Amino acid sequence: MLKDISLGRFYPADSPIHRLDPRAKILATVVLMVLVFLANDVWTFVAYAAFSAVCILLSRIPVVHVFKSVKPILFLIVFAFLLNVFSGKGEAFLTLGPLSATWDGLWTGLRMAARLTLLIATSSLLTLTTTPILVADAMERMMKPLQRIGFPAHEMAMMMSIALRFVPTLVEETDKIMKAQSSRGADYDTGGILRRARGLVSVLVPLFIGSFRRADELAVAMEARCYRGGEGRTRLRVMRLAPRDGVAAAVMLAFSAAVVWLEYLRAALP
Amino acid sequence: MPDFISVQDAVFDYLRPERDPVRAVDHVDLTVAAGRHVAVLGRNGSGKSTLARLVNALELPTEGTVVVSGYDSRDEGSAWEIRQRCGMVFQNPDNQIVGTTVEEDVAFGPENLGVPQPEIRRAVDVSLAAVGLSEYAERPPHLLSGGQKQKLAIAGILAMKPRCILLDEATSMLDPVSRRDFMDMVVARVREDGITLVNITHHMEEAVLADEVVVLAAGRVVARGTPSEVFEAVDAIRSEGLDVPAHMEIAHLVAARRGVPLRPGETGTPDGAEAAVLRVLGATDARRAAEAQAAPEAPAAAETAVEAAAAPAAPDADGEILIDVRGLGFTYLKGTPFANVALEDVSFQVRRGEILGIAGHSGSGKSTLVQHLNGLLRTAPGVVRILGLDASRGGDVRAIRQKVGLLFQYPEHQLFEETVRGDIAFGPKRMGLPEDEVARRVAEAAAVVGLAPEDLDRSPFELSGGQKRRAAIAGVLSMRPEVLVLDEPAAGLDPAGRDEILSYVSSLRAHGATIVLVSHSMEDIARLADRVLVLDHGRVLACGPVRDVFSDEAAIARAGLSLPAPAAFLKRLADRLPGLDALRFTAAAAADAVLAAAAGEAPC
Repeated sequence: MLKDISLGRFYPADSPIHRLDPRAKILATVVLMVLVFLANDVWTFVAYAAFSAVCILLSRIPVVHVFKSVKPILFLIVFAFLLNVFSGKGEAFLTLGPLSATWDGLWTGLRMAARLTLLIATSSLLTLTTTPILVADAMERMMKPLQRIGFPAHEMAMMMSIALRFVPTLVEETDKIMKAQSSRGADYDTGGILRRARGLVSVLVPLFIGSFRRADELAVAMEARCYRGGEGRTRLRVMRLAPRDGVAAAVMLAFSAAVVWLEYLRAALP
Repeated sequence: MPDFISVQDAVFDYLRPERDPVRAVDHVDLTVAAGRHVAVLGRNGSGKSTLARLVNALELPTEGTVVVSGYDSRDEGSAWEIRQRCGMVFQNPDNQIVGTTVEEDVAFGPENLGVPQPEIRRAVDVSLAAVGLSEYAERPPHLLSGGQKQKLAIAGILAMKPRCILLDEATSMLDPVSRRDFMDMVVARVREDGITLVNITHHMEEAVLADEVVVLAAGRVVARGTPSEVFEAVDAIRSEGLDVPAHMEIAHLVAARRGVPLRPGETGTPDGAEAAVLRVLGATDARRAAEAQAAPEAPAAAETAVEAAAAPAAPDADGEILIDVRGLGFTYLKGTPFANVALEDVSFQVRRGEILGIAGHSGSGKSTLVQHLNGLLRTAPGVVRILGLDASRGGDVRAIRQKVGLLFQYPEHQLFEETVRGDIAFGPKRMGLPEDEVARRVAEAAAVVGLAPEDLDRSPFELSGGQKRRAAIAGVLSMRPEVLVLDEPAAGLDPAGRDEILSYVSSLRAHGATIVLVSHSMEDIARLADRVLVLDHGRVLACGPVRDVFSDEAAIARAGLSLPAPAAFLKRLADRLPGLDALRFTAAAAADAVLAAAAGEAPC
């Protein structure tokens, strides 16, 4: 019933983007997010789209696959677009009852749609080329300085990695419990809301109790393997910045400069 | 050699809010010399897991001392030192894996110890190779089988370079084949590296591998010695609710019935037991000749309730066909690159009043097959007819599920109501039965599985493990299904718990129920079933009366299964005892057959 869930849609491939240090990729993604909100000029959008296209091509992930991640928020994009089209000022080119679409609004709407699409496309490139566990790991290392002021960076990362580890196990368990209860007559698809809610109780209660039992056992197992927090731990996986990460940083820097030039400086020049 | 583990007069009480503490370990002494392999054998609740936790400093003794590798577990900081040297594998394979990939998980221990990275890398590679999981290094652990997960747990410990490994019922959730495979691997590793091994278990097959066996009951040591010393006291071990190796039990029964004492240590190995049986028979032949007209011998006293109830089964070849499966196939993830054929061209019938055993090792398609028997999976291709109803696409699933009760593995994990009564009533209520009928059925189902009326108003989560299992079974029985499908009903239970559950199964059959029993225990199937269906890689390898199927040893071996232990031992004797009927599936029946053959009687 629930076998098709895929979490963190990592797309395995061997590409320059996949090989980048996850910390570099996270930073680059943050920079790209800021830049897309700076974008206003049509040329900035063109440059941004071209840059994203190059990144996607380099990652060797089918373009269709990248745009699949845009699909869930397609509704939001269309809504934002229409809202802008009909709320702009100036000359209307279309009137539908009390609503009038303006040229000004159309441009704003297009910009908004492009911004959202590019935002999702570039940030999904991070999760497509980096396993969730690497993302969690990189976050831990980047947050490490914050530990001195009491931010639980290691604990957060450990929680995330255990959650990732147990998602498939819990999906399997949910499937099993649902089957067992259905064979006792539980019904999850028909009947009124109350009946369905009652059906859910018969799944959720054993699932929660099972999870608490698992948590308990896992905690003991971790203790038995000498776990006592992040203090003094070493790691199997080392993250070492490579020359290619330097290249990526230089490219990002150049692209950021280009965006700033397109947005602010070009207009100031004669 | 110095003692690696030294438990002196240890006591452990579990504290309970507002109630008296429970004494789990009661003045236990246990010493294990470095490099020894000791099995701690006991029923569920005998205190053996608590003892393991005391040794690993996961619990501290209420009284007495626990010293491991020179560290007293009560001293500050010694827990850390002890756990570095003494790794522990737990029962549930899923709940001890931390890493999101196999190699990450193996690295977890060394990472905690602060081992430098290049050394972790080396330790991970060496440990994975040692347990045979190198090719899975980058897999997510949930894709491993249960046996592989437990091997992963061992690799995680080996990577910490331990002096001792504690197995806390590490094999109780594995099937017999994986269990053997796992134990063979562990024993080879510890021998090679001189690691001390303490195996806490209720499986006597594992205990016989040890240098020394310690038997615990109610928190106390009740027996200790070499495996053959301990198991020779067949009656004492049996009365602790534990199993005895079949060859020892058969030799013991034959000797007792012939009144010839066995020599100490004589029956330790199957070879020894074979010689002992022949010696006993030879010694009495002369006497028997003189007593030719003596009265027939009394039946063996050791026969358990299960065996007694299972005995009078006469399969009714002409019984009404309740379930008719024809040409059934099933493929998981059909049409994708991950397509996995689980069943192929499976055909069989279940007749009213019979017990059909379904045997096969893990991954043979047993679970997929039973899900077709009550409409959880729909047929494609093939036809499944259940009491005349079509369970293929479009059939009335509700009606089918009321007629076929399906009990999943570890059914106690599905309990959810506030009271046991509510849980047992869930099914009948869903069937829309009136209140008084529901109440009647709850009482009836509870009585069949032996739940006391006062237990019905307790929360299911307060019950003991065995009681939970019984409550879950009652939850299916209360729907009064015409066919009961049981998927490994005894999984994870100790021998006494297993016998108890299996005795319910045979008493249900005595009431006319039709049962499909799925199990990877050949012993359980041979004892209970009338007919057996052997699945292998999704295909029916053999299907027929139990005796017919088990007489085809080649087919059994091809399915990766083995003969039930008593029958396997009789096969050895058959060369020396002409006319011996080797197809006996309990120790008592096997002893009868040996005596009958020795007396020159025709096998019955």
